[in-house]
Amino acid sequence: MEKYEKLEKVGEGTYGKVYKAKDKESGEVVALKKTRLEMDEEGVPPTALREVSLLQMLSQSLYVVRLLCVEHSLNKHGKPLLYLVFEYLETDLKKYIDSHRKCANPRPLPPSLVQSFLYQLCKGVAHCHSHGVLHRDLKPQNLLVDKDRGILKIADLGLGRAFTVPLKSYTHEIVTLWYRAPEVLLGSTHYSTAVDIWSVGCIFAEMARRQALFPGDSEFQQLLHIFRLLGTPTEKQWGGVTTLRDWHAYPQWEPQNLARAVPSLGPDGVDLLSKMLKYDPAERISAKAALDHPYFDSLDKSQF
Amino acid sequence: MAANFWTSSHYKQLLDQEEVDVVHPLDKEKGITLEDFKHIKMHMANYIWKLAQHVKVRQRVVATAVTYMRRVYTRKSMTEYDPRLVAPTCLYLASKAEESTVQARLLVFYLKKLYTDEKYRYDRYEIKDILEMEMKILEALNYYLVVFHPYRALSQLLQDANLNDISMTQLTWGLLNDTYKMDLILVHAPHLIALACIYIASVLREKDTTAWFEELRVDMNVVKNISMEILDFYENHRMITDDRIIAAFSKLNLKP
Repeated sequence: MEKYEKLEKVGEGTYGKVYKAKDKESGEVVALKKTRLEMDEEGVPPTALREVSLLQMLSQSLYVVRLLCVEHSLNKHGKPLLYLVFEYLETDLKKYIDSHRKCANPRPLPPSLVQSFLYQLCKGVAHCHSHGVLHRDLKPQNLLVDKDRGILKIADLGLGRAFTVPLKSYTHEIVTLWYRAPEVLLGSTHYSTAVDIWSVGCIFAEMARRQALFPGDSEFQQLLHIFRLLGTPTEKQWGGVTTLRDWHAYPQWEPQNLARAVPSLGPDGVDLLSKMLKYDPAERISAKAALDHPYFDSLDKSQF
Repeated sequence: MAANFWTSSHYKQLLDQEEVDVVHPLDKEKGITLEDFKHIKMHMANYIWKLAQHVKVRQRVVATAVTYMRRVYTRKSMTEYDPRLVAPTCLYLASKAEESTVQARLLVFYLKKLYTDEKYRYDRYEIKDILEMEMKILEALNYYLVVFHPYRALSQLLQDANLNDISMTQLTWGLLNDTYKMDLILVHAPHLIALACIYIASVLREKDTTAWFEELRVDMNVVKNISMEILDFYENHRMITDDRIIAAFSKLNLKP
């Protein structure tokens, strides 16, 4: 690892620390993701293995963060360590949204940028899904942004295809529930690509509002947030919902007008959002179909 | 692990037979012939399968482990990568990649337990050796861990051909398991291997599949060639005795 000079710690991933670093020879700035050491009886953590092998396959897409190489070395106790070397992007969507809200000059994100980011996100998600890979943990923190070039890329595929999404990550950082699909919250054991689309919908709304659409702090609260806006789901709307493991008798809320929750979106945007937030996972729009939605008609797609 | 073979790293990594049939110079120096090389790999595939039965993992994990092992030896020598350590480590790695992790401790337990009926001293390695080898194998594989197998294609194709009765299913499944005793998975696309198994089975069971194969629009020459290879393997298989494998192993002159 003498090849790289660590510049600063930039975050904590699902299974380890992430550093900004410089390749001493080429001067290229990269992101180094170190795998955790604690499982010393069991070698390389399976989550890391899965992320590497999925990334090897997926990182040919422009909209998935590129894995440049994998380095292995020893720590000071002589234990093996794995570093994933990624292309470096200066910021993520969470920080980017925050920079439009918590500053001296609060302002909305330009509508054309919201449109372009959402298009790139759908492209990336469609790419993952076409390879049979679910992301399962899409959130603004996991979307890296190059603001000068207006590029957005999906990162952190560590949970890709893991069977259950943990409530707490290994680093004891609470995993956010805000982007979690209702079928996951209700304990469905068979979930599909639609879980990622729900997250995309929440992220879309958040870009338009500059704050989270459903900011719950427990699984129960999270469901109530969703039900209050979209109405408590019924068997008629979503067949089988009342037989899901964690279904209870919930207060009966009527659906609110979605457009009022995202005032900056026009009718096409609201229509696409409502298709991403359908209760019945089978009815939720696919990433591929979303790319052809009229909301993107005014976007110059030739640049993608 | 993923649905699309044609865009996968597996597809891009398919090799020519001539690239697979290369004995590493270090092994050649020790007198290892191409035959020896193939015999040792077959023995390892059998050993991985045996070990897998004890630690109870699915056939898919075994198939992935054997594929890793075969890929490793297209790049590395047996002299430097001791087959007795590579075999269990490939199973260990495959179990992680296929999401049914087996603890290294359990694996080592069975390595030692199986020793009583093994002549090859698989038992000399410990957990730390497996973990070390895990890293070396990951590098040798260039971290490409996604492998596609013919099993899913096989059951879909059998159904499509209306041949999915128990007898044909069992026969083709058995043939397919045996293809991992060869290097076919490194050379051919999974569905072609599945088709070759169906082709052989339909000849053996006297089912007329000519029309069905014609409709598939696949290159029948390739399917027939793979079938011939499988049949050749069965033909020669009888001659591969334990003694021959031990003799090949002893040429490697590995530490006792």
